[in-house]
Amino acid sequence: MYTLTPHSHLPTLPRLPRTCRATATSPARTSTADPPRHLPITATTTITTPATANGSSLHSTWAHRAWVASGFASVLSSLAKSVSAAVDSGSAFDPLLAAFLGYILTDLGTGFYHWAIDNYGGPSTPIFGRQIEAFQGHHRWPWTITQREFANNLHALARAVTFAVMPIEFFATANDAAVHAFVGACAGCVMMSQQFHAWAHGTKSRLPPVVVALQDVGVLVSRAEHAAHHRPPYNSNYCIVSGVWNGLLDEWKVFEAMEMMVFFRFGVRPRSWSELELEWKEESGGVSSESHNC
Amino acid sequence: MACTSLPKHSLPFLQASIPTRNPHSPTLTIISKLSQSQIYGLKLSSPSTRLVPSSSLPPRTPMCAKVSKGDVPPSFTLKDQDGKNVALSNFKGKPVVVYFYPADETPGCTKEACAFRDSYEKFKKVGAEVIGISGDDPASHKAFSKKYRLPFTLLSDEGNKVRKQWGVPSDLFGTLPGRQTYVMDRNGVVQLVYNNQFQPEKHVEETLKLLKSL
Repeated sequence: MYTLTPHSHLPTLPRLPRTCRATATSPARTSTADPPRHLPITATTTITTPATANGSSLHSTWAHRAWVASGFASVLSSLAKSVSAAVDSGSAFDPLLAAFLGYILTDLGTGFYHWAIDNYGGPSTPIFGRQIEAFQGHHRWPWTITQREFANNLHALARAVTFAVMPIEFFATANDAAVHAFVGACAGCVMMSQQFHAWAHGTKSRLPPVVVALQDVGVLVSRAEHAAHHRPPYNSNYCIVSGVWNGLLDEWKVFEAMEMMVFFRFGVRPRSWSELELEWKEESGGVSSESHNC
Repeated sequence: MACTSLPKHSLPFLQASIPTRNPHSPTLTIISKLSQSQIYGLKLSSPSTRLVPSSSLPPRTPMCAKVSKGDVPPSFTLKDQDGKNVALSNFKGKPVVVYFYPADETPGCTKEACAFRDSYEKFKKVGAEVIGISGDDPASHKAFSKKYRLPFTLLSDEGNKVRKQWGVPSDLFGTLPGRQTYVMDRNGVVQLVYNNQFQPEKHVEETLKLLKSL
C-alpha cells in the first residue's frame, strides 16, 4: 500500500524499553512456543531526509501510469461484465449487494494486511520487504503521501490488482453478475485504498468537498480516525478503506490477540510492542543519525 | 457525524460455562452464572447457583488439576526474580493474591503488573501479599521487575508446571497462556478466581474488591 520512500535507511534495531510497554528481550516461555528470534544487539542507523528531498521519487513515471491503467482496466472489466450479466438476468440486487460486501470486506482486509506489514518483517523480507520498508517510512514521514502523484501512489496496488483479477475473471462464469461485482468492488477498493489513505492525511481545506463529505459520513476513512493510527501506541485503526471495521477490531482487541498468538507460537514480537518509537515517530524532517546499543 | 459502524458484541465462541467437580461430594457443582466472557472477564467465584453451598464443605486440596473457590491450592516452591526459592507456604496467615500471566514484557502483562504496582499500597493496607507467576526465567523477571519498579514478587514457573497443576485455562484455542488471578484468605482457602485475558487492569479491581470483603 505504501510506495517506497527513498533515502530512508530504516533500522534493523532491537527494541529499547519504554515505560509500561513491551521490549524485545524476553523469550516466550510455553511448551508450544518455538525459540524466539533474538534481535541484533547493536545497530547504527542513519536516517536521511525523506522523499521530499528528492522530488522525482514522488512523481509518476510512465511505468506507474501503465500499471494504474491496467489496474483500472481490470476493475472496469469486472464491473462491466457484472452490469452486462445483471442486464441479462434482469436483476441488480445481487450484484449491488455483492459490490457492497466487497467494499465492506476490503476494509477488513486492508486492516489485517496493514497490521501485518506494520508489525512484522523488514526490508529484507522476500516479496514484502519494499512495502514493509515503505510502511515504516510512512510512519516517520506521513505527510509525504499527500505529495505523491496519483499513479506514483497507486501503482504498486494497481499491479497487484491486475495480476489478481485476471485469473479470477478468467475462471468466473461470464453471466455471474454478483461474482464480477464482488471482484470489481474489492479490486477497486484495494487499488484506491492508497488514495483514500492519502486523503486521510490531507487537511480539510485542501481536500475536495466531496471527499470531505464522504469522510464525514464514513464512506471513506476519516482523517481523525486514521490520525489515531499515527499516535502511540500505533496499534489501532489499521483499516483504510472506510474504517468501518476499526471500532470493532479495536474493541475486540483482535490485533492484540493475534500479536499474542504470534508471539507465543513463533516467539516474534510485533513492532508495536517496541518502546523505541523511532520507527513509528513522525519526523519533522532533517537529518539524524542514531546509534543504538541493547 | 453520521458513520456506519458494525455492532460490537462479545465474541460468542469465548463464552462458556465451566463445570467443576468436587470429589468429596457426590453432587456435581456447576457454576452456571458467569459474569463475562474471556474478553471481558470471568469471575469463577459466584456461589449463588452452586447446588451445594460452598460454606457447608470443608476446604479441600483438589485431587484433580484445577483449583477452584473453596479449595486450598497445592503448595509450590518457585524461584523469584533474585533466584531465591519462594514457597506459597511462606505466606501462611495472610491473604495472598497469586496472578498467573502470560509473559513478561508483553503489553497486557505490563499493564497488569503496573496496575498491581500502582495499587500495591492498597494491598498492603489489607495485609495482602501479591505474587505474579509466569513461565519466564528469573533473569527475565528481574529485568521486568526492575524496569517497571514492581514492589512484589515474581516467580518463575518454568515449564508451566504450577500453571497446569492449578488448572489455569489457556485462551484462544490453547495458543495463549491464560491470565487468571487467585485470592487466598488468611487460611489459604481460595476465595476468588478471576480470569480476564484482555482487560488486565480489572484483575486489580476485582481482587481488591474481594480483599476488602474478607
